[in-house]
Formats: sequence, structure tokens, C-alpha cells
Amino acid sequence: MNEKVMEGSHAISEAVRLCNVGVVSGFPITPQTHIIEAIAEHCSDGTMKAKYINVESEHSAMAAIVGASSAGTRAFTATSSHGLALMHELLHWAAGARLPIVMGEVNRALGPGWNIWTDQTDSLSQRDTGWIQLYCEDGQEALDTVIFGFRLAELVNLPVMVIIDAFLVSHTYEAVSVPTQDEVNEFLPAFNPRIKLDLENPQALNQMASPQYYMEMRKSMQLAMETVEDIYDEVEDEFHDTWGRRYGSVEGINLDADVVFVTSGTATTTCRLAIKDLTDKGESVGMLKIKMFRPFPAKGIQNALKNAGKVAVVDRNFSFGAGGIFAQEVKSSLCNLKDAPVVFNFIAGLGGRDITTDTFFEMYEKVNANDIPQTESEWIGINEQELK
Amino acid sequence: MVSEKKGMKLENTVSLFISRSAHRSSEMNKTGSWRFSLPVYKDKTAPCSAACPTGTEIPRVEMHMSRGEVRKAWEKIIWENPFPAVCGRVCFHECEGACNRKNLDSAVGINSLEKFIGDIALSESYTFDEVEGTTNKRVAIIGAGPSGLSAAYFLSKLGFLCEVFEKESEAGGVMRWGIPSYRLPKNILLDEIKRIEELGIKIHCNRELSIDEFNNIKNEFDAVYLGCGLGASISPGFEGESLLEEGSIFLKRVESEKMSLDGQDIAVIGGGNTAIDVARSLIRTGAKATILYRRRKEDMPAFIHEISAAEDEGVKIVELVSPTCVKHKGEMLEIDLQEMTTGDIDSHGRMSVRPLGGKRSLIYNKIISGIGNQIKDTWHSPDQNNSKMELKNSIIDITGDTPLVYGGDLTNKNQSVSDAIASGKEIAIVLDLHFKGDSDIIDSLEKCRVGVNAISFEIYRGGRKQYKEFVEFKNVNIDYFDKEDRNELPQISKEESINSFNEVEKNYTFQMAANEALRCFNCGVCNDCDNCRVFCPDASIIIEDGKRVIKTDFCKGCGVCVTECPRSAMGMEEEKV
Ligand code: SF4
Ligand code: SF4
Repeated sequence: MNEKVMEGSHAISEAVRLCNVGVVSGFPITPQTHIIEAIAEHCSDGTMKAKYINVESEHSAMAAIVGASSAGTRAFTATSSHGLALMHELLHWAAGARLPIVMGEVNRALGPGWNIWTDQTDSLSQRDTGWIQLYCEDGQEALDTVIFGFRLAELVNLPVMVIIDAFLVSHTYEAVSVPTQDEVNEFLPAFNPRIKLDLENPQALNQMASPQYYMEMRKSMQLAMETVEDIYDEVEDEFHDTWGRRYGSVEGINLDADVVFVTSGTATTTCRLAIKDLTDKGESVGMLKIKMFRPFPAKGIQNALKNAGKVAVVDRNFSFGAGGIFAQEVKSSLCNLKDAPVVFNFIAGLGGRDITTDTFFEMYEKVNANDIPQTESEWIGINEQELK
Repeated sequence: MVSEKKGMKLENTVSLFISRSAHRSSEMNKTGSWRFSLPVYKDKTAPCSAACPTGTEIPRVEMHMSRGEVRKAWEKIIWENPFPAVCGRVCFHECEGACNRKNLDSAVGINSLEKFIGDIALSESYTFDEVEGTTNKRVAIIGAGPSGLSAAYFLSKLGFLCEVFEKESEAGGVMRWGIPSYRLPKNILLDEIKRIEELGIKIHCNRELSIDEFNNIKNEFDAVYLGCGLGASISPGFEGESLLEEGSIFLKRVESEKMSLDGQDIAVIGGGNTAIDVARSLIRTGAKATILYRRRKEDMPAFIHEISAAEDEGVKIVELVSPTCVKHKGEMLEIDLQEMTTGDIDSHGRMSVRPLGGKRSLIYNKIISGIGNQIKDTWHSPDQNNSKMELKNSIIDITGDTPLVYGGDLTNKNQSVSDAIASGKEIAIVLDLHFKGDSDIIDSLEKCRVGVNAISFEIYRGGRKQYKEFVEFKNVNIDYFDKEDRNELPQISKEESINSFNEVEKNYTFQMAANEALRCFNCGVCNDCDNCRVFCPDASIIIEDGKRVIKTDFCKGCGVCVTECPRSAMGMEEEKV
């Protein structure tokens, strides 16, 4: 293990280099390009043995690694925003085919207006595709998540999306502890799929399934999803044994407080500072970071929030006509809980607008000022003038 | 840091149910239930077969030949035609005119391949299978020309006992006496006749029948076939016509005498194949030959390649002259010619001619009439008063006790060897149907029809199932065929040609023949290319006992196999529920 200063994007590339990946495909899109660019270099300078496939679109990027993974090789790609949207059809395919692909996804707003900055709506729009979604706060977490993401994916036959914020992680240089190849080899056994295209045992994969069988195939996916939380914990145990780090599907601080923020991505880091300031001032405030969005760790969240006074979900995303997407899911996790806390929902930081500690102080005040949250999500920092 | 292989502790045991063939999915999807039409393998009619007067299944002949299976190719031909080596030389091969391949590059050399196959059969002494069973019915055949010999061949195959009566000293008719040996060497003809005789047919030569003998024969036999041909020449109808030599007699003389006409200037009147044959033979005897024809060269009924071969060898053609008188001029003959000019297109679509002012006279050592022949004795053709069944290549009269059948040049629209063979085949089948008491001979005959004119003996015998559906060029998937030059038969030198009666065209080598046969699309017949099976997206075509079978449980009726069949040997058939 050695410490290096690197971009969040390169933390992901570095992890991919260590994971004995066989095929990488990619199509450039800001702010993801650095990930596949570095991998392409690794492939060309021989420090990585993967076959790198330059494709003409993200749709083909996913199609190519669907093929590679079906043939029994470990496969990776990365994308962002419009690229992810273009991949949508193949995301369903990868999950339905039960392929343990890992993909780097850099949260970026969707146009129009044309915007390259961070926003979670791109990845959250893909929540029903059957992918495991793991959100990361910084480069180290991104690197670690890729490594155990492969381990997890291959244990449950479901694809994993490792998600970082545009620029705030992707282009930010931080110190990252990089495992050695031997350590990774030890942690991540060679890929040995249960089903693959095999010349010795020829078969056609993923053809027609009549109504008689389709539903069982979907139930099978869900059964696998239902094992993810437990297996994730066990994988993290092993990871922790090796490297001493663990993230949890959720992470809580001061969960019995009067106000508990729920965050994801880099907003979490800012929240950590904000609640420290507030606590120092004698306020009762806590925080719950959600790392795993799919499967949604409903039980863990119930447990974490059952003693909170009020819950304030901060969403850097929005589902039009409904509300913040994390808030919706948190509410539905809590709704059958006796004496569940009320849930406030704030929309902040869309399209890369900064979420600062002041943003948290403002939200904190709003929560304190009301016993019952308004039905609609509350948008923070809106310039009403523009909306007239 | 890592002390044990902790990574191996966890195992993938999750539910994993996806569709895949090794599982249940491909078989569990009975995609056959989607289908509303089913692909079927069906042999269709190739244009060449339809154009061939004998209805030979050419696509299969060439399929076998392309694989080097000469014996099988020959066996295919002799189902329909007992004279492959003869026809491979003298047939005017309408098959090639109809060949689909000519839309891609040029027609398949069907005729030359027939010659190659026919000659191998002779040199390897292939014989006809012996006939099993007999009807005990005796048929008398008058005339050992191509129709009579073919009738004997097909009748024998049907179990009839045949006797042939021939007025000449040898069998063969026009093939023997009318076609010069530079086109058809005598030994080839004799060998093919001998093979027919070996089926147990008696041929009585030098037996020109009188009408009384004919009446006796009628009483003696169960049926009589009259294939007497056109035994008398048509008189040209101008003054001095008795000074002319008759073309067919000249050709016969050339065949039997060693003739030298060195340096003589000889004219031939006419524009048909006889005129050309006479002129080309004259060249070979050392004479100078001039054809005098009353219409234009392009109106000549002779085959176009024969006309150009004749010109190539030095035959001169004078067009638009009509003889009016022939008279002696010392040792020589003088012929007066009326100059003609073209008029309107006549009712047969032919350019008519009419006299122009000018006249001229030409002088020759000898003048030969090659304008054609006519019937010799009235009893050679059907009795006008009797009711008859008029078929495509024959006429049958069953008013008397003994059925009388007429065919060959007497009844045929085209006077060719292959049409004569078609006659012989037709009468054999008609007599067989008659003696079996068939209630609708015309309809039964129609069931054996290939294209418009030909009748298939193989279909009659139940050996070939062929749909009437026609394969057009647009039905051939030409993505599967590259352009390839046609293999032409090598020729002897021009010098050798004009100085001898040696056969002008040589033969293919084995390799050339196989290559030429490979050019054939095999229109409408399956040649086991296996495309259908390879392309089926549902793996619904399997091979069972060496044959392709479509599994109806899984065939979804997409038609990919039918489209990918290069040669249209498949079709889609709508399914009735
Ligand atoms: S390509 Fe072959 S089968 Fe087709 S028309 Fe020509 S000779 Fe006949
Ligand atoms: S390709 Fe296969 S599925 Fe399609 S029509 Fe032919 S046999 Fe049936």
C-alpha cells in the first residue's frame, strides 16, 4: 500500500487497473473522460492487460462489455449524464442477463440547459434497471468501492454502478491509499462465472422468454437483490480485514439528535463540517449518509432513524412532479414505522450549485422553525426573480 | 497483512435464472406457435428444363456434373432422352436461351456439357438398366429416325415389345443421313443406337413398307407408331427444277461416297439448316459454295451459329434473290434470279419480300436445292376422316382396332432431333395410358408436363416431384454467385475443318466440364448447400437421415431460410388453421 495524490477519476482508473479486468470499453464524456483515458493509457503502456475497445457511443460501450462479460471476462466501463441516458436500454440488459459488470458513473446534470456540473438525477433515473448503486464521497472511497464492487457483483450476479460527483470528486486531487496488486489478488479471486459463453459447452444466452418464464426470471433478480445488503456487509468485513477501511451501506453520526440530515455524495462531507459547527454551538444535530441506494437499505435506515427527532433529506436531484428522490425512498422506508420521525425534504445544489455549510445552516433553521414539513420539497437558494 | 485466503470464504449461491439454450429456454419457447406460414422444400421448374423439348432436369444434371458424378448426371439425362451424345451436338439448345445465368454473365454451356456426359457414357460403356416386367403388348414402329427410336426406347422401358421398320440400310433417319459427320460423327450415333437396340428392340432395315404391308402390320401388332418423317423433297416450282440435285440426297451421298468436287462452283438454294449443311459439306469436298436465298440473311431459318460458321469456312451468301429458271449452259448450269426487296412484316412476324425490277443470271457447275422436304405417302399421316386426339408432339387415332400414333417431323412444329425425341416419349406414355384404360389421357399427360411443351418420363414414372412454379432470375439470390467466364468447347483448326469431315468441336476436359457445371445456379433444386440450416435463427432445421427437416414446433415462419436459399428451392406456404 502506498499513498498517492490523484484525481478522483484516476482513483477509479487505478482500482480498475488492479482488478485484473479483461475488457474495458469507453466513450468520452465530461466529466468522466479522465477515467477511461487513464485506463486506455494503462492498456497501451502495458501496465494493464485488458483489451480496450474504443466505441462510437455509450450504447455500444455497454453492449461491448455485455458481450465481454457474457464470455466470462471481468469488464468495466465508465460514463456520465447523457452517456448514461443513452445506455439506458443496455443497463436493463446487463442486469437482466445477470452480468457482474462494474461501471464508473460521474454524476452530472442532464441538459438542457447544457451543464457539465454535478447532479444526481442522471444515475437516479436508472434506479429501476436492476443495478446496484453505490455513491461515494471522495477518491479513496471510489477506489475502494470499485475493488469491492467487483467482489460484490460477482457474488450476486448483478452489475454495480460506482458513483462520484462531477468535479468535486472526479477532478479533485486528494491523497489516496493504493493497495498493492498482491493484496487485491488475494481479496478478489479470479472471475469464475456460473454461466458464460463457452466453446466447450455451446449455448445461446438471453433469448425469448415467454410469459410462462419471464416473471420467475425477474423474481430471481429480486431474490439476488435481497441478498445484497448482507453480502455487502460480509465483503466489507473482508475488505476491512485487509485494508482497515469500511463504509457501510449507511453511516450514521449522532442519530438520536433532534434533527438528523440525510445526505449522499460530497454533500455528506460538507454536512460533516456543518453538524460539527452546530454541535459545537450546542445544537442537537446528526447525520445519516446513504451510500447504497440500490438495493435501498430500508431496514438499516429504519433502524438508524427511528430515534431521530426530525429527519431532513438533502437531495441533489429531483423527480419532477414528485420530489427529491432520496426523500421519497426514505419516507417510504419509514412510513410503516410506529412513531416515525417527520421527514423534511430539501432540494439543493442542482446542476453543480455549491452546497456549503451555510446551506446546511439554512436548512437546519427551516427544520427548527416548523413542526410539520410542507408536502412539497423545499428548494434552497432559489432566486425567485428568475421565475417570474 | 493478509494471513489467510479470506476471499474464498464467500460463495455465489444466489438465485440465477436466465433464458439460455443449455437450460430450458430454447426448447421451452415453442416459437412454432407464432407461425402463420411454413417454409417447404420444393423442387421448382428451371427455365432451362421448361425450354428443353425433352424436359430434362438440367439443374440436377449440372449439380451431379459439378460434383464429378458423371454417371448420375447421365442417368438423369436418360430419364428423358436416350441420345445425350447426339443432342449434345445437334440440338439447337433452347435451354441456353432460357438460362437464368445469362442475366448475370452468360448462359451455362448446357449443350456442351450434355455432349461431355454423353461421350463419357459411351467411352465408359454405360448401359441402360434392363427392363423389368412386360405388358406383352407389341408395338410396330415405322421409321428408325429419332422419334421412332425414342418411341422404342420409352415403350421398352414401359414393358412393350417393339419392332422397328426402316426403309434405309441403317437406322438413324435424319441423324444418319441428314446431319453431316463434322457435326455428328457416325460412330457416336451408331453407339447410341446400339445401346437402345440392346434393350431388346428389333430393327428391320431395308424395309420400306407398302400400304398393304402397313395394313398387315396393323393386324399383327397391338399398336403402330408412324414416324416416317418427310421422305420427299419439296419441288422448288420453277422452270428447269429437274436439273437440280435434291439437298437431302446430296447429304446422303456425301455420307456414303468419298466425294471430291475440287474447284467446282456450286450453288445451294434455301436458307434453312439443310442448305447450310449442304454448303458446309460442299466446302469440305473442295467446292466453292454459294447460298442463294430469297429473303435477307437475318431471316434465314437456319441456326445463327451455323450460318456464321458456314461464312467463316468460306460459304458465300447471296440474299434477296429468287430463282426463276435453271437451264444448261454448255457443261454448266445457268440460273436466272429475280432480285427481291423487303416489304412489310407478314402475319407470322416475318419480313415479307417482293420482286424488285432487276434480274440477273449466275453460272454454276451444279445447283442443289435445300428448301426442305414433305410427306412421301399419304398413309404416313393420319386419316383426315377419323377422329383423333391431337397432342403437342403427336396425334393418336383410336378409331380402328389397332391404335395408330403419328409423331416426329410429321406432327412437330419444330423439326429437330430433340422435338422428335419428345414425340417418341409422348406416344410411349399415351399408349401406356391407353392400354391401362386411362379415362382422361390428356389430363394424365398434363400431370407430367414440364413448362409448356415438354413431358417428363421421370415424372410419369413417379421418380421426380416437381412443382410447376417457375424459377425466374429475380428468384435467384445472386449474392451467392460471382461472375465467371463460360467455358467454350475447343475447336479443331479451320484448316482441318474445311479439308475434312472431322468433327469441328472437340470436347471439354473433365475439369472444364466440372467448372462449367459449377456455373449452373441449380435453379429450383436443392443441392445441399445447407444455407437454410445455417441461417435459421431458431435452429429449427435439423438433419435427419441425411435430409433436412423443419421442426414445426420451433420454426416461427420468418422465411429467412427461403430468402437465403440461393436457388429458390424453397417456398413459404400459408398454413390453414
Ligand atoms: S442456371 Fe442452371 S438451372 Fe438455372 S436456367 Fe441456367 S442451366 Fe438451368
Ligand atoms: S429460418 Fe428457421 S424459423 Fe425462419 S422460416 Fe426458416 S425454418 Fe422457420
